[in-house]
Amino acid sequence: MDALTFLIDGFQTALQPHNLFFAFLGVLIGTAVGVLPGIGPMSGVALLIPVTASMTSGLDPAQAATSSIILLAGVYYGAMYGGSTTSILLNTPGESSSVVTTLDGYQMAKQGRAGAALSMAAIGSFVAGLVSLIALVLLAEPLSNVALKFGPAEYFSLMLLGLAAVSGLAGNSMTKAWMMTVFGLLLSTIGLDNVSGVARFTYNISFLYGGLEFLTVAVGLFALGEVFKAILHKEKNDGEIAKIGRILPSKAEAKESVGPIARGSLLGFFVGVLPGAGATLASFFSYIMEKKLSKTPEKFGKGTIAGVAAPESANNAASGGAMIPLLTLGIPGSGTTAILMGALIMYNVQPGPLLFDEHPDVAWGLIASMFIGNVMLLILNMPLVKIFAKIIETPTKYLLPLIVAISVFGVYAVQVTIFDVFLLIGFGLLGYLLAQHDFPLAPLVLGLVLGPMIENNMRRALTASNGDFMVFFEKPISLVLLIIAFLWIVVPFIMKLKGKSIIVNEDM
Amino acid sequence: MSKTFDRIAAITFLAVGALFMVESLRISKSAYGSAVGPNVFPFLLGLILVLLSIKLLFETARYVHSESEKQPLQYKKFFIILLAAVFYAALLETVGYVITTFVFLVIGFQTMEKGGLWKSVLFAACFSLGVYGLYVKLLQGTLPSWPIWLQ
Repeated sequence: MDALTFLIDGFQTALQPHNLFFAFLGVLIGTAVGVLPGIGPMSGVALLIPVTASMTSGLDPAQAATSSIILLAGVYYGAMYGGSTTSILLNTPGESSSVVTTLDGYQMAKQGRAGAALSMAAIGSFVAGLVSLIALVLLAEPLSNVALKFGPAEYFSLMLLGLAAVSGLAGNSMTKAWMMTVFGLLLSTIGLDNVSGVARFTYNISFLYGGLEFLTVAVGLFALGEVFKAILHKEKNDGEIAKIGRILPSKAEAKESVGPIARGSLLGFFVGVLPGAGATLASFFSYIMEKKLSKTPEKFGKGTIAGVAAPESANNAASGGAMIPLLTLGIPGSGTTAILMGALIMYNVQPGPLLFDEHPDVAWGLIASMFIGNVMLLILNMPLVKIFAKIIETPTKYLLPLIVAISVFGVYAVQVTIFDVFLLIGFGLLGYLLAQHDFPLAPLVLGLVLGPMIENNMRRALTASNGDFMVFFEKPISLVLLIIAFLWIVVPFIMKLKGKSIIVNEDM
Repeated sequence: MSKTFDRIAAITFLAVGALFMVESLRISKSAYGSAVGPNVFPFLLGLILVLLSIKLLFETARYVHSESEKQPLQYKKFFIILLAAVFYAALLETVGYVITTFVFLVIGFQTMEKGGLWKSVLFAACFSLGVYGLYVKLLQGTLPSWPIWLQ
């Protein structure tokens, strides 16, 4: 089969010593970048482009392109690995796709099971990376055709389905969860409107023209909120954390995680293929799906391993899936892939339908190095788990101010405005107040992510259909997604009314 | 579940929702061909938030008034660190990253637990200089470095 021969050629390229070194460097930097809250893979990749250019200046252009892309791609999925570390240990999402991991991962860390959580995240990410690569090799062409069929109406319905999934993120009160979601959606309207260019709720503050940056809000709500809570409530962690004896997950936990990892990988891959719907959405979706399919949904949010394995697999699979539109169609699905595309173009390699014909060595070399990179990440991360798990044993005296300093650094490094640092502190206070009184934070973040996508796609779809609202029901894919969303909300309701015992939230 | 907090929160969100609704009426309705302009979405969302807040208010009336154990909160530490953080943010660009981070960390460490001044100073210095060196020198990122009068 053509693909296999090319893949073997790709492996030959990727296994060259200097490419192995680049891959290793990439995943190392990527893990570090992912661990730091605020600085995400986007900034990491962007910062490294000049560095890689100078490092590969001695090689000929095609080889330089391959080596640089291997390094940059390594940073990309390395960051997916690293992002979960601080989510689990410090309730600080290292990057947007790791927000969901905080829900169960941090609880597990508080129970002394940080080692199991970290290693399960690593294993899940590895398996997901493999799955997404195999799917990439086999399914690239048919999947890109499907991705092309997704127009604005389909995206809108998909995002609505994502909203319907809020029911899975709620705690005790659905009202509060929906309030948080709507509040998040409202916050996402701040800034310049994408479709018409009108400034909304900016009051001439120029910093608000781009809207509220997601990472500022997420790091503020989760990380600083947790820090403020720890300071105010005199958290006596020092005595309680059980020894991190267990690095590997127990047999029972491993068995429990097989399903979530498999489902998370597949779901994450398909969500990642869609340009625009990236790793963040994939992680939310897979968490919600796991909660729905689980026999013990009440354990979610209190430290169940499936709640860590599923989103972590999903976000790694999504980063593999995001390569498909980039390589086959030349459409970057997210900020990071856009920067990767920029790097490719810089080396005179045009991603798109002709990439596999004109520069097969670059494309297949990249794919092969992703296999190798995944193995390297697993080998790198497993011993590091023990070191990372020791981080939470740092006395709170040093830990809490350090978290604040790291968060400020992360936010300032990306946004380069003091306004965002103030916003960070403000959201930290808000996050503390809300979390303390049972207002769930995850729906707020979900609303913030989904808001622009919902609104823009709805308006684009309506513009294309000349104001006809039926377009959402006439297009088949959109109709299917809307029906699923409707059922998702309505079925638990009906079953509860029928008296069946479903774990649904009490005061509805 | 704190009855008072939920009540206050519900009223606050009601105000926020109403504010968004009122403000969105001032946004232009023009939509360049689309039936839905930039004002519709915030208006609808504000409306939904108002309705949900009213629902929450009704729900708080049904709360069982639970005697929550009043945990003594460490207000003093919290406010010192909060104030330090605000000053950190305000002075970040004028005084430079290294100095402000160093001062903030020392204050933070000492507020959390007095004592071990030298260790605090050492850790704070290592962190500030380390991050600055790694990010600005090695990776050529952007961080405000030193105040004008020190350069």
